[in-house]
Formats: sequence, C-alpha cells, structure tokens
Amino acid sequence: MVNGDKDVEILIDRSSQIPIYRQIVARIEEMILGGRLPEGFKLPPERRLAASLEVNRSTVLAAYRELKGLGLIDSHVGRGTLVRAAHPATDHQPSAGDAPGRTQISWRQILGDYQPRIPDPLIRDLLSLAERPDVISLAAGLPASELMPLETIRGLLDTLLTRVGPAVLQHSPTEGLTRLREAISRWLVSRGIPCRSDEVLVLSGSQQGLDLIASELIRAGDEVVVEEPSYIGALPVLTASGARLISVPVDGEGMRTDMLAAILDRRRPRLIYTLPTFQNPSGAVMSLERRQHLLELAARHQVPVLEDDPYSELRYGGARVPSLRALDSTGVVLYLGTFSKIICPGLRIGYMVAPRPVLQQLVLAKQASDLHTNTLGQHLVERFITEGHLEPHLTGLRTAYSAKRDAMARALATAADVLRWQAPEGGFYFWCRMTRRIELSRLLGHAADAGVAFLPGASCFAAEPAESYVRLSFSFPTETQIAEGVGRFVEAVRCTAEDPRALYPEAAGTPPLV
Amino acid sequence: MTEPTFKLARRMSRLRASEIREILKVTARPEVISFAGGLPAPELFPVEELIEVSTAVLRQQGGSALQYSTSEGDPRLRAAIADHMRHCLGATVQPDDILITSGSQQGLDLTGKLLLDEGDEVLCESPTYLGAIQAFNAYLPSYIDVPTDDDGMDLDALDTCLARARRARFIYVIPDFQNPSGRCWSLERRKGLLELARRYRVPVIEDAPYSELRFHGEPIPSLRALDDGTSVVFLGTFSKILCPGLRIGWLVAPPPLLERYVLAKQGADLHTSTVSQAQLAAYLDRYDLEQRLENVRETYRHRRDVMVRALEAELPAGAHITRPDGGLFLWLELPDRIDSRSILERCLKANVAAVPGGSFFPNGGHENTMRLCFASMPPERIIEGVRRLARVLREAMDGRPNPAARCHRPNRSDQAERLGD
Repeated sequence: MVNGDKDVEILIDRSSQIPIYRQIVARIEEMILGGRLPEGFKLPPERRLAASLEVNRSTVLAAYRELKGLGLIDSHVGRGTLVRAAHPATDHQPSAGDAPGRTQISWRQILGDYQPRIPDPLIRDLLSLAERPDVISLAAGLPASELMPLETIRGLLDTLLTRVGPAVLQHSPTEGLTRLREAISRWLVSRGIPCRSDEVLVLSGSQQGLDLIASELIRAGDEVVVEEPSYIGALPVLTASGARLISVPVDGEGMRTDMLAAILDRRRPRLIYTLPTFQNPSGAVMSLERRQHLLELAARHQVPVLEDDPYSELRYGGARVPSLRALDSTGVVLYLGTFSKIICPGLRIGYMVAPRPVLQQLVLAKQASDLHTNTLGQHLVERFITEGHLEPHLTGLRTAYSAKRDAMARALATAADVLRWQAPEGGFYFWCRMTRRIELSRLLGHAADAGVAFLPGASCFAAEPAESYVRLSFSFPTETQIAEGVGRFVEAVRCTAEDPRALYPEAAGTPPLV
Repeated sequence: MTEPTFKLARRMSRLRASEIREILKVTARPEVISFAGGLPAPELFPVEELIEVSTAVLRQQGGSALQYSTSEGDPRLRAAIADHMRHCLGATVQPDDILITSGSQQGLDLTGKLLLDEGDEVLCESPTYLGAIQAFNAYLPSYIDVPTDDDGMDLDALDTCLARARRARFIYVIPDFQNPSGRCWSLERRKGLLELARRYRVPVIEDAPYSELRFHGEPIPSLRALDDGTSVVFLGTFSKILCPGLRIGWLVAPPPLLERYVLAKQGADLHTSTVSQAQLAAYLDRYDLEQRLENVRETYRHRRDVMVRALEAELPAGAHITRPDGGLFLWLELPDRIDSRSILERCLKANVAAVPGGSFFPNGGHENTMRLCFASMPPERIIEGVRRLARVLREAMDGRPNPAARCHRPNRSDQAERLGD
C-alpha cells in the first residue's frame, strides 16, 4: 500500500455489537500502530471509503474525527488525511534554554490545568517585609504566641506518649479518631450547634476542608458565590479548581442577601462560601435575618453553603448569633471549624461537619489526599477538650484579645483623617477604608521605611475593588507593639497621601489594560 | 436532618471505597491475624526518644513550636532530610530542593493535582500501589500498566507504550521493594527507564517509602541519584522507618516544579504540623537514625524469613510467592482459575486476612493474586496465620475450578473499551 488512492482493506462485522465507526477506528489504529500504514500515508477520502465499505459518509467522518483525537492522523487542506509521525517528541524543536545534546523535560508543557495562583509580587514583598526583625507586623492573622497553652500541651504530650504509648504514633482512621470526633460533637452541641459524631470529619487544618470541597464539588467553569471581601486563603483554592467567582458585597450586617437573591434567580452556582461571624477580613457579623434569608435562598435554589467559622468563639462584646449550621433545617450547610485560633495552629487540626452522604465522599477524597490527620495531634486536642482545658483557655483568650483590640482602636482613633473603621466585636482584624484611594506600591515603600507590615485589602477581593482598604491584625503583636505599629502605619499613610504621585485621580477610575 | 440537597461532582464517583478500607475494618478484630494492612510494627516506634525531644522542643522553642509555619517546611528538618538522602539513599540534594509533605500520600495527591487533567495518561508498573491510583483517580487520568518482571518494568514494552501514548504525563514507579509485589528494580533497568524518560520527555515520579528497608545486598542507587536533577520527582517518608502517626513525608522536585508544588501544598493544608516537624528534626539531630534502621531491618528481615519459610512449607503446589530483599510485602500468585476475592471471604471466616491483588491493577484483571504484609505481626502469629491461609488455599485449589473467577478475567471487549476511552 503506497497511497490512499487504493482502498484500505477494512473488514466490517455488521452483526457485531460494536458500532461500525468504532470498528473502522480499531482497524485503522491497528494498521498504524502495527506499522502497516506508515507516517505520511494518505488515507482514502471519506466519500470513497464510505462507498467502498457501503456505509454512510458520516460514519467515516466520525471514525476519522476519533483517529484525529487519538493523535494518529491529521487533515491537511489540499493534501487530504495523512498518518501522523510516530511520536510528538520527534516534532519537538529544542528551545533556546536547552543545553546542546541533552534532552530536558519541559515542565511548563507538562503542567496540567490546575494552576495555583502565583502571589502578587507586592504581596510577596509585604510578606518578606513582615519577616524583618525591626518590622512590626500587622499583616498576618497569627494567634499570639504568648497565649499558646504551652504548659498544658507539654503535660498532655508527656502523658500521651508515656501512658498510651506507640498507638499515638500509629496510623489512624481517615475520618479522625473516634474519641476526637465524639469530643468535637459534644463541644459543638454545647455551643448550640447540632452535630452527631459520625457527621464529623477531622481535617489537617480547615484549609484542607476548603481544598477537599473545591476539588470534589467544583468543576472547571462552575460558578461559586463568595463574599466581597473574602478570606485571602480561600480565593486561590477556588479559582485553581477552575471556579468562576461571583462576588456579593458584605456590609455591616454581613453578606448582602438581597443581591444574592438576584444572582440565584439568574444563575446556578455550585457553592456559596461565607464566613458569617467576625468575617475575615471585614470583621462583619451576619445578622440573624440575613442568615435566615441566606438559608432560605440556598435551600430553595439547592445550592450548598460552606460556612467557615474560625472566629466565633473569640467574641469580645455584643450578643451571640447562632451559626448557619444551627439554623439550618434542610441539610444545606457544610460547617468548617478549626482549633488553630483557639488552641494553636501548629497542630493543624480542623474539622468539617457535613451530612453523612457528603461526609462519606469527602472521607474518600481525604484518604487519597493525605490518608489521615496526624495521630498525636488528634490525641492532644481530644485530651485538651475532654479534660476541660478548652473553656478556661477560651476565657483567657477573650480577655487578652479584647485588650489588644481596644489597644488598636485607641491607636487608630487619631487617624480619622486618613482611615475609616469600626472596631470588630470579635475575631482578629480591623478593616480600614482609606479616605483617599492611594497607590499600594507607594504605601508599601513608606511602610517599609517606617517599619510596619499590613495586608493590602485588594488581595481579599476576587476583582479589583473600587476603594482602597487595608486589613490590620491585632492578634499577634503585644499591646505596646500595636500602639507603635499603628502609629508607624498611619504615618506611612499620611506620607503617601501627601505624595501627589501616589494618588489616583479621584473620578478617573481604573484605566483599561491595553 | 434531611438528606443533603446537592450532588457532588462526577469525579467523586470514581473514588470507590477501596477494598483495603473494608478489609481493615474487619481485621481490627483481635482474633484476626492480619497480613492485610501495611502497618509498621508499633513496638519499633521510638516512643522514649520522642518523649524526650518533645519536651525539649517545647521548652526551647516555646510558642513558636505551636505556631503557623512555612509551606516549604521546617528548615532544620529539610537540612536533616538532605543529609539522610545523601547517606542513606545516595542522592545529593539541597535543603531548598525539598518540600515537607503531610505523608508521602500528599506528595502523590499534589502530583496528580499539578500534572494531570482528565484523559491524561499515567504509565505505571503492573501491579502498582493502590493508594497512588486512588490519589491520581481524583484527576480522571487513564492508566497504561506496563508489563513488569522481577527486575522492574519491561523496557521494550515501556518504549512501545511511550511511543503509542498520546497524552503521557508521567511514569509512576516504586523501584525499591515495591508495594505490593516486593520487587526491586535492577540498576540496568533504572538507567534504561531514565533514558527512555528523557528521550520521550516524560517525567518519572519515584515513590520510595521502603528504600531504607533493605535486608541484605548492596543498595541500588535511587532514580533521583542516577538522574541529572531534571526528570525525577522523588517522594520519601518517615512512616515506615520511624512511625506513620506524625504524617511526615517529603518531596524533591526540579526547581521550577517545586515552586508549583509549594503553592499547591499551601492551598491543600497551608503546611505540615509544626510540632511534628520540630519533633522529627530534633529526633534526627539527637539520635542516630542509621542505628535505629538496623534494628527495624533486623526485625522485618526475621519476619520475612518466618513468613517465607512457613509459606514454602504450607502452600499447595501451583501457588507462587516473591521473596523480597526488603520492604513490608510479598506477593502471592495462585493458579489462574482461583479468585482471591472468594479466597479472602473464606480467609476472614478462618480469622486471617490479606489483600486480593486485583485492586493493584488499575485496568483490572489478575484476580488470582494476593498481597501479604509480613511486617505487622510477630513471628508466632505469622506462622499461625500462614497455616490458616494455607488451609483455605488447599481447600480451594483441590476443589473444582471456580467459575466465578472467570468473570473477572479481562477479555477483548474490555480492552477495546479502554482503548476507546
């Protein structure tokens, strides 16, 4: 066989269950892979092959399309359909970076669709600024190191290793230790959140819950509702899974559920992600009315709600509002909790509460992700709760963080000309709006000179916000450092505001990217 | 509370409850002698040493030992792992080339996340590690299982597979004392694999959880040691050589890829437990890991000997085993007509457990095989367990051919369907 002018011999079994086009694919594939149809061999035109096989032309078209999909043939205008070269490697042109005579793996070509967002260089600069020893960091939401229950943990660790022994170092169930799941469910119930222990999945930090939900629930192109602003660590996980984010603004009463209602009338998002209590970064608490509205909308439109709740136990004033999980009667809420802010983050213990069928699926996903959460850490948290250390510890934390919050409020009181803010009733953050929109890179320069780090608000938005915000965290620094750090920061803002190059023209808006 | 009002994405349906999961539930009963799980022996865990280092770490580092830490991992631990890789695995890597993972399972998951899209192809040994299949399955690849013998993959077959593959993303291998077969690749095959990987520009994922557990003979260099640092991602773990409960593994990748791994890790769980990392770094600083490994190897070598001798004495004709030089597992092959799933059912009635081998073949088939872990049980339990297993096998193999076994054999239409996928 030299050319497609001759007919390719294909035997078709019309009595077979296998569709005819698949039989054609299989025969041609066999001939190509077996070397009987060499590279560049011209296959007969569709019409001719169809006639000779006495099949419909669309059948041959379907077969050729599939063979192209398999990479075995190519169509060339004017030349017809030809058998492709044996392997794409032979097509590869060495790039300029390749060392001569050596083949290099091109990782760039190999990487899949999942593309974690490379942090904005400005954010990187800010994070490295926060590492400088002379810099006071108001940037990261770290719990205070001096408030960690170090002695209790040391005692528990010693007891566990001595008394329980090797079992605390062995593999443990993917769902989490039964004792810990029971302790978590008892504790949640005592806080008014209904929960059975078999609805609890122990996580390697609540970030893992976001990751599992993102990779198991969301397919590329799905829409996800997020708050605006939202948690900086959640947005990249959601977008890396291919989600398109729909932002719903947050005001003093939490997510604007009236706007959510309008969105749900027109679109079908896969998930609503919310931090209803002491939201990160805005500090907002969703009102009871909004919570009920949100749940009603979610149930009516059949959209699951992921309630991320790391801060609700850190309340320094005002009345407690029930969690979404506590108000949910339809099983639409997935509840995400963590011990990172209330015991310590270094153990990496979080949890998810979800209806059984969802939980069972997430357990399998977790098993594939990391088998299980570290066993010793789980034992520690279980003992911490069961021996009654958590409640007194929380009381201590509320007192200490409340004093830090007050220190930051006092320090910020003198900055009304440049910053607008409301003291949060709980959580770790002040969310400050700049009275004038200023350019972040200039502010960063002045802040670096002054020796203070902060989180630029824009990193908490899915799209560029219309106004300039900053998030200032009071949890990690001491009260003295808070006073000094805020002083430096306000100074940096004033310097930037006086720098005419740093101001955006008031009404011009963002110039188009060209 | 009512049923959830929503459905999970399609990829979840691929994640079926693994056979091992179900078996392990049964084998938790104390009367069952289990060769099923891959649990390291708890009596070898360094409990005393960890008590000491834990106290020291919390005293010296205070609150920072309990604080958030970087996604890359504790610098002291990364330096200690670089040392370990030089001494124990013959590979020269820099601490900056290393990412600490929450067990090597996370390394597998991140690999799938970064490198696989739906319909991509993974080349793997036949059989291969079930946990890897589960990790990759979440990203919906298809598998090309390359024929493998006692020296590793058949390189001619690998060459053919690579030439035919249209979307090969990586070659996944466990060169040392493989899970499940216990096989160890020869040096020639390792070199040949790397040559093919470079020629076809397809990277290699080297999973090495058992490399330190060689009972005799000279160590064979890891693929990472033989590579020029560009085509191999290496996955290591402390789960088998110290203890699994700390969940500490590591990953070595070429720099442009490592940066991506770090970002993916950050999204997955921010970082691995600060406490576990500090404990392990302090342990490696104060104690001689090599000395400890001697003890672990000696214990497992003895248990392997006991199991191999017992099997040789008890197994009916027609059953074949591997005799691995290291690791935790050996592989049992039964006559074609025997279905190891039904064998397992009978075994569980006789209070002994192993894993049916079919689960380790991503494209199915090979239902006449079983994986046995020789490391978890003390010698007298191994002898008794083998006796129970052999009794079940003798009954099954003396009996008439089991027609059910036929149903699981791959047939032509199965294969055609896979090609078309």
